[in-house]
Amino acid sequence: MSAERYAVRTIRLCTKDCLCLYICPTGATDTENSIIDKDKCIGCGKCADACPSSAISMVPRAFPPQQAHADEVTQAMRALFASKVAQESMAAGLPDALAVALEKSDRIMAEDAIREAGYMLPQSGNAHAFLQGLLDGNRDAGFPREAVKRLLELLPANE
Amino acid sequence: MSLYVCPICGYTYDESKGIPEAGIAAGTRWDDLPDDWTCPICGAAKADFVKQDGEEPASRPAPAAVPAPSAAGTVEDSAPVQVGDMAQMTPLELSALCSNLARGCEKQYRSEEAALFTELAAYFKGASPITSDPSTTALVSLVEADLEATLPTARGVAEGAKDRGALRAITWNEKVTHIQKSLLTRYEKEGAAMLANTGVWVCTICGFIFIGDNPPELCPVCKVPGWKFSRIEGRAS
Repeated sequence: MSAERYAVRTIRLCTKDCLCLYICPTGATDTENSIIDKDKCIGCGKCADACPSSAISMVPRAFPPQQAHADEVTQAMRALFASKVAQESMAAGLPDALAVALEKSDRIMAEDAIREAGYMLPQSGNAHAFLQGLLDGNRDAGFPREAVKRLLELLPANE
Repeated sequence: MSLYVCPICGYTYDESKGIPEAGIAAGTRWDDLPDDWTCPICGAAKADFVKQDGEEPASRPAPAAVPAPSAAGTVEDSAPVQVGDMAQMTPLELSALCSNLARGCEKQYRSEEAALFTELAAYFKGASPITSDPSTTALVSLVEADLEATLPTARGVAEGAKDRGALRAITWNEKVTHIQKSLLTRYEKEGAAMLANTGVWVCTICGFIFIGDNPPELCPVCKVPGWKFSRIEGRAS
């Protein structure tokens, strides 16, 4: 549990060769739902090495702080983000499957742009400040306040 | 005999070879291909192809002058964006920020966090006002403004800062915006007929849109496998 990394199985790739069950020193891979037990995993990587279908990867328990962008890059990506969101909004008012596709396409491009404007990691200081800001502001009764509180608990800032 | 290259996927049309399997004989000149011919790989419009020597085949409006990267002092008029300051974000922007963070959580196998961000994204989408008077023409103008100003500006700034991450996002964005323009231009001419008896697909990674019975084997823009495409249904009326 103390190791810096733990094993994750991609069910889509798993061909049930089950060498991970055989090789795991702690039984972390032996679960009912096929999800490797993160708490039992000691991060040794033996299961990932043994898996013949490359269905297990070792992922970090903690991510390093995201890379900083120059202010002018952040601003340019924010402008691109705002433009794609405006187009998503416009497409949402149009008929036909092409408009639905454009709406989705614009959303994906907007997400990509905001990722490069300082919101790559959910654990980043920016994401944390954003969540905190949502709690501080005035919101209507339907606002999922509990969801924000839970996210702040689950995702402590890493910078 | 010349070569013409697709700006989105890199497919090259060679006049000397034609595309015999598609009924285009060897030696068929570029100018003799029908105007509604599209890239056989990604569906880009003929007008978007670029002649290999760098000269563009169709006369296209010169790109608008690119505003200089915001040097200190020139940004004051445009209300500089403070990182972390979400006060000026529209509800739909907040929704896109949340759905992006949901994706970030999914990539880290954090399903509870992803579900919570998805819940927030849905809340903000529901709180978004509907755009008044939406039209295909207005949407085309916005797409063109990105190709002529927003994207070149972003590219200039990111190149100046040698920002690899931003440049990668800008490259995908440019290509997907291009295909959007191609498809919207076709839609303005052909209407919903262009969507009849075929599928509409969106790459869930870069946003590339493909019209066809099946998704491409690999995304022509970001190269993910075809199963990363999602099939789009029309609006429930």
